[in-house]
Amino acid sequence: MTFSNLTIIGERINPGFKSTETLFTNDDFKGIQELAIRQANAGAAYLNVNCGRRSKDDPDFLKEVILSIQAVVDIPLSFDFPNVEVQELCLKTYDIEKAKGRKPIVNSIAETRWEMLELANIRPFKVILMASERMEDGRGKPNKLASEVFETAQRMVNTVMKSSHDFNKEDLIVDVSVSALAADTEGLTKMAIEAIRLIGEDPDMQGVHIMGGLSNIGQQLPAKAADGSRLKLQLENAFLTMANPLGFDFLLGTPWKEYGPLPEDNYVYRIFTEVLDLSGIEALRCIRKFYKAV
Amino acid sequence: MGNKADELVNAIAEMDEGKAIDLANQMLAEGIDPLEVLRLCRVAMNIVGERFEKQEYFLPELMMAGDMLEQIGAIVKPLLMDQAGGEEPETLGTIVLGTVHGDLHDIGKNIVTFMLELNGFKVIDLGIDVPIEKFIDAIEENQPQVVALSGFLTLAFDSMKETVEAIAEAGWRDKVKIMIGGGQIDEQVTNYTGADAFGKNAMEAVSLCNEWIGGAT
Repeated sequence: MTFSNLTIIGERINPGFKSTETLFTNDDFKGIQELAIRQANAGAAYLNVNCGRRSKDDPDFLKEVILSIQAVVDIPLSFDFPNVEVQELCLKTYDIEKAKGRKPIVNSIAETRWEMLELANIRPFKVILMASERMEDGRGKPNKLASEVFETAQRMVNTVMKSSHDFNKEDLIVDVSVSALAADTEGLTKMAIEAIRLIGEDPDMQGVHIMGGLSNIGQQLPAKAADGSRLKLQLENAFLTMANPLGFDFLLGTPWKEYGPLPEDNYVYRIFTEVLDLSGIEALRCIRKFYKAV
Repeated sequence: MGNKADELVNAIAEMDEGKAIDLANQMLAEGIDPLEVLRLCRVAMNIVGERFEKQEYFLPELMMAGDMLEQIGAIVKPLLMDQAGGEEPETLGTIVLGTVHGDLHDIGKNIVTFMLELNGFKVIDLGIDVPIEKFIDAIEENQPQVVALSGFLTLAFDSMKETVEAIAEAGWRDKVKIMIGGGQIDEQVTNYTGADAFGKNAMEAVSLCNEWIGGAT
């Protein structure tokens, strides 16, 4: 079973994945193309492109990566670097014909970097809006409450819609940011779920998409759950099972992973729902149950 | 006391929080030297650290053990202050730490601060999105042995590089060790930034400081 309404942005073209880093180090454009095809065939609707440090330091390389990918797949790309010059190069290199007229995604704009919105003068795009941080008194601050994430999302959506650029609500993807559960003593996972609920219920934000990078959630936890299942995948699915019906409809993820809803009596899902209501050492004690039989 | 000492070490190592705090209180009431109680806590923490290395334990156990040590530390501290005539106990060394400019992530940084403090280091935590000048000012004011730069975003690599360069320009590069950590940081990024080393997790950050400052238990 899969989620009926979930768009996947393929995350693998990123040196954070060791095998991809090797492709980059060796300038293996053939290998990068194969990785693009594999993700497209597995159901990715977009491909995220992150060349790490080389995005900025090696514009020729970044350009070549984009051209090679677009030579073999027709799905649109998502450009992952929070910098105007890098995005400018990406948007200028992007061939919209090859993507059958479909707009790319700019990943991402935050309240601390509104100047990036002017990139829309180069070509129209969809855009990821980071709601996990806000601008306050001239400085960026991380959001720690669902209401702060929601208000940041609201402000950002309004600002984009009122701008002189031609955006539809469907072009906007709010990133609520998903944190590592292993260290979640402050209720950040619950914050994300609550923020998704608030955004999803808000009549003014109908049409706006909601996403997050789910791979963070299982960081620093062991591979196997106490019931023998794959813990990280199950955690991602537990999050999705709860968040997807609330409006979380975009996912930066690995398209060949088996994303699908978990039944309520699933071991990992049950503990996930328990953890959400806890904080501090009680949360940690509960998180241990994911992998330690008690 | 032998038995209770073993039991305390065990309770912490086995994540039995209630028992650990009870035992620590009992031992202190019986007149056992608060420094001995702290030593036992460090023995227990070393066991937790070893299990973490062997992947029998993970981040939650590390943080739970840290929480227990913090609680016991809070009970012991006033007693130690009495012993020392009201002076702050000595630390192993000073570390100036922060998330570099342009990056607002604080979870990893906070865990590292916590673990360093538990292990006896004085940590000057400058917070997130720390401007280069703030690092330099804090270094000049506190004369640390180690500077720790945290960052989760790719753009943090450049901020780290700039911060390391500014530390060198201010004439401090030979006087401090610099460690970095967070997200996707590896050997290659370490070389790029000009830092001395990177830590994959909070335990490695503690090991690096122990190695550099020569603390250890």
